[in-house]
Amino acid sequence: MTRSQSLAVGLGALGVVFLLIALLYALGVLQILTSSDSGPHYKHAVLFAVLAVASFVAANFARPKTA
Amino acid sequence: MGLLQGASELFPVSSLGHAVIVPSLLHWNFKQSDPSFVPFLVLLHIGTATALLVLYRSQWVAIVRGFFTAAIRGQIKTDPERLAMLLLVGTIPAAVLGVFLESRIKSFFASPYVAATFLIVNGLLMLGFEVLRRRSERGTSRSEQESHFGDAECISFVAAAIVGACQAFAFVPGISRSGITIGGGLIAGLRHQEAARFSFLLATPVILGAGLIEIPELLHAGIPLGEYLAAAVLSGIAAYASARFLLRYFKSGRLDPYGWYCILAGLAALALLHFGL
Repeated sequence: MTRSQSLAVGLGALGVVFLLIALLYALGVLQILTSSDSGPHYKHAVLFAVLAVASFVAANFARPKTA
Repeated sequence: MGLLQGASELFPVSSLGHAVIVPSLLHWNFKQSDPSFVPFLVLLHIGTATALLVLYRSQWVAIVRGFFTAAIRGQIKTDPERLAMLLLVGTIPAAVLGVFLESRIKSFFASPYVAATFLIVNGLLMLGFEVLRRRSERGTSRSEQESHFGDAECISFVAAAIVGACQAFAFVPGISRSGITIGGGLIAGLRHQEAARFSFLLATPVILGAGLIEIPELLHAGIPLGEYLAAAVLSGIAAYASARFLLRYFKSGRLDPYGWYCILAGLAALALLHFGL
């Protein structure tokens, strides 16, 4: 994987966005691309939480390592 | 139903296709449009996933440990760490497609006729995977042919993502999740047994995750939970036995017999459904 500070920051920011989306789905605020128009959507929330974790992991991989 | 699902889930013959076709043919009292039908299947899937967790318990311990070690270190150094990251990369596309498309695809294709037709397509895919595989094989004996291919840990990250995304095709009744991922693994250069192992490992988090999320729905659906749990246990036992059998079979076996089975079963199901037998 290409290591760069800016890529790591970008992936970290993406992780934060995914985490916020997960929270909004869990609270029932976000209703985009869901089967019903009301209530919390835990399936979507879990998915975006997993995406957030994956983004943070990828950010750590992209971070330049000190020797 | 539990035994049928558990046995057919890991064989490359589409458990969902069988779950749609067999009750229709045997006139079992299952309505596929019933709101409790999918949660019931999900409960059976939890039985299957538990069987896979038990079968690969030591590997899963190493994978989970490898995931955290590599994630914190930001670097992959061992095979379990690489496998953990491959499984993450393979699971994400399936999870995204599953959350946004699964219910739409399943409701669109939930007909025994469609399932039987796609069972034939599944059979053709299995035969196609083996045709492609044979082109890159060398040697005469099966062990010699297999020796040129690699372990699950050798698969590239791009290939893992593609194989993972292919799991979404299994939302169509008749298309086998294990079949399509084993086939993808073969094309990516894995030995048959390793392709099966990668397929089973890849299936576990998706099946388990989808099942655990659906549990609250089960409690609301007003279903006979005791009977459904018994079916899940039977499903797990059948899945465990199936996985053990398949891992031994794929030491030298191929997908062809399952391909032919799917074609014949699909044709037979279409005929039986058409003539109302």
